[in-house]
Amino acid sequence: MRKTLDQWIERARRVLDRATLVPFLVRCGIAVAFVLAVSVAWPVELIAGRFALPLYAVALWPAIAPRGRGATITVLLVVAGWIADTTWFDQRVALWRVLGIAALVYIGHTLTALAAALPYDAMVNLDVVTTWIGRALAVVLISSVLTVIALGLTSALAGGAFVLATLVGLAGAVGATMLLARLLRRGDVG
Amino acid sequence: MSDPSPSPDEGSGPAWVPTRALGRTVLLTGLLLVLGVALGRVDLVLLAAPFAIGAAVGLRRMPRSAPEVTIDSGDEYVVEGGRVDAALTVSNPDVIAYDLVVVRTRTSSWLRLEQSDRPFAITVPVDGWAAVELPGEALRWGRHDLGPVAARVAACGGLLACRPVVTSPLGVRVYPETEPFAAVEAMPAAAGLVGNHRSRRPGEGGELAGVRPFAPGDRLRRIDWRVSLRTRDLHVAATLSDRDAEVLLLLDVLGEAGTSGGVRGSASVLDTTVRAAAAIAEHYLKGGDRVSLMEFGAGSRRLRAATGRRQYLTVLEWLLDVRPDPGDEMPVDTVFGAHHVSPDALVVVLTPLLDPRAADMLAQLTQVGRYTVAVDTLPTGAAPPQRGEWTELATRLWRIERENVLGRLREHGVPVVSWAGTGSLDLVLQDVARLASAPRGR
Repeated sequence: MRKTLDQWIERARRVLDRATLVPFLVRCGIAVAFVLAVSVAWPVELIAGRFALPLYAVALWPAIAPRGRGATITVLLVVAGWIADTTWFDQRVALWRVLGIAALVYIGHTLTALAAALPYDAMVNLDVVTTWIGRALAVVLISSVLTVIALGLTSALAGGAFVLATLVGLAGAVGATMLLARLLRRGDVG
Repeated sequence: MSDPSPSPDEGSGPAWVPTRALGRTVLLTGLLLVLGVALGRVDLVLLAAPFAIGAAVGLRRMPRSAPEVTIDSGDEYVVEGGRVDAALTVSNPDVIAYDLVVVRTRTSSWLRLEQSDRPFAITVPVDGWAAVELPGEALRWGRHDLGPVAARVAACGGLLACRPVVTSPLGVRVYPETEPFAAVEAMPAAAGLVGNHRSRRPGEGGELAGVRPFAPGDRLRRIDWRVSLRTRDLHVAATLSDRDAEVLLLLDVLGEAGTSGGVRGSASVLDTTVRAAAAIAEHYLKGGDRVSLMEFGAGSRRLRAATGRRQYLTVLEWLLDVRPDPGDEMPVDTVFGAHHVSPDALVVVLTPLLDPRAADMLAQLTQVGRYTVAVDTLPTGAAPPQRGEWTELATRLWRIERENVLGRLREHGVPVVSWAGTGSLDLVLQDVARLASAPRGR
C-alpha cells in the first residue's frame, strides 16, 4: 500500500515536472467550461447545497482524464441538471442560459477532444490551439444565431414549440443519419 | 534522410478511425434530439445544435491518405562533439489540413537533441509539410539511432484520427574525434624501398647520414666535392634510405571497462581505443604509410592494409563498429596468430590488459619477432563496482597483479605506454627502432 502510494506520488511529481503550459491551459479551459456549464444548468438550490462538491468533481473529471468517458458523462449531467431545473424547479427557459449551456458544453467537448490528442508534456505550436479554438468559436456563433432564431420563432408561434421541436428534431435526425451513413461508407472504402 | 514512412494500415483496417469525440458527438446529438422531440422541448434540440454543426463543419471533407514522416540528420559526416541538425518532417498528401499532428521520436542517448524527449504538436496545411527541428550534438562516436519516429494525426476537428505512422530509425554515423598525435621517431622497419620515412639503413634517400670515403659502386653525383678537395681524397655524402611502412593497429575488444561520458566526459577503454586508433591511423596515413586494423576478439574483424585518404575514411567507418566482443574461445590460438601480421609491420596493440589472453598475445608477437608496441587504454582510476567489503582489497590485489603483468611484458621486450595523445609513442618507438636495427635471430 505504502509502496503504491509512493509510486503514485513519484509519478505525479514526474508529470508535474514535465507538464508544459499549453496542454495545461487547454485542460484549465475544459475545467472552466464544464464548471460554468454545471453552474448555469443546475438549480441554484442544489449547486449551493451539498450536491456542489460531487457535481463540480464530475465537471473537473474531463480536465484530469480527457481520454476517458468523463466528458460524455459531464455533458449528460449538465443536460440532466437543465431538465431538472426547467421541469421540477419551474425555471423558465431563458435565452441566455440556453446559449450559455450550448456554448460552454460544446467548448468543453471540443477542448476535451484536443486534450485527448495532446500529450500533457507536448511542445505545442500556438497555431494548433488558435485554429482549434477559432473553429469552435465559429461553431458556437453559428449555433447561437440558430438558437436565437429558433427561440424567437417559438415565442412568435406562441405555443407552437412542440411542432417546432419536432421539425427541428427531425431535421437533426436526418442530418445525423446522413453523417453516420457517410462514415460507415468511408469505413467500407478505407 | 530516411525513407518516407510506410502506410500505417498494413493489414490492420483503415488508416483513419473515429475518435471518442466523434462517438460523443453522435451520442449527444442523437440523445438530445430524441429528448427534444419526446418532451416537445426546442431548447434541448438547440443544445444539440453545436454538436451537429461542429460535426458537419468538421466532416464536410474527409481525409483519405496517411501522413508521411521522414527523418533527416543534417550533415552526413558528424564528428563526436559536432553539431547535429536533425529534423522530423511530416508531409500531408491529403485534401484537408491536419488539425493536430503529434510527433514523437526516440534517439540514442549519445545524441543530445533539444527537447527530443518530448512530443511535438504541430499543424500541417493541405498538400504541404511541416518540420520539427531538433538541433543538438553528438556526444560519442559510433552508429546511433535517430528514431523511430511516430506521428499521430487528428483531423476534422478531432473527430477522426489516423493510426500512428511509425518510421524506422535513421542511423547517424558519428566519427571519433582524433586526438592530436605525432610520432617523429623512425619506423623500426619498412616493407618497401621507397616511402616517407628515413630508415636506419644507409641507402638512396634524402636524409644525410654523414660523409664517408668513396667506395666502388658509389654514384658520382654523391661525391662531396668540398670535403674531397679539403682532404684530397674522394668522399661521398652518405644518405639514409627512404622507406614506407606498414602499421597494424590491433584493437583489444575482449572487454570494456570504465564509464564513457562522451566526448567531454570520462573515456572508457573502447573510447580510448577507438580515438587513439583513429589518431594513429590518421598520422601514419598522412605520412603515406599503409595502415591495417584488426580486432583482437572473438569476431576478429580485419581491415586490409592500404594507404591514402580513402583508407583513412575506411578506417573511421570501420571503427564505428567496434564493440566489446569477449567470446569464450581463445582467440590467440584459434583466430589470431602471428602469421596474420606482416614481419616488417609495426604492430600497435591498443589494450587495457584486463584479459590474460591479451598479455599472452603480446608476448607471443614479441617472441616471434614482430615490432610490437602496447598502448595501455585502461582509464585512470578504473575499478570494479563496489560489491562488498572485500571489493577494495580485491581491487588492490588486481592492480598489483596487473602491474606484475606489465613488468613481465617489459621484461619480454614489449614496450607498454599509456595513451596520452601527442608523442605518446615516441619513446617506445625509439626503443623498438633500436631493437630493430640489431641483428634478429629468427
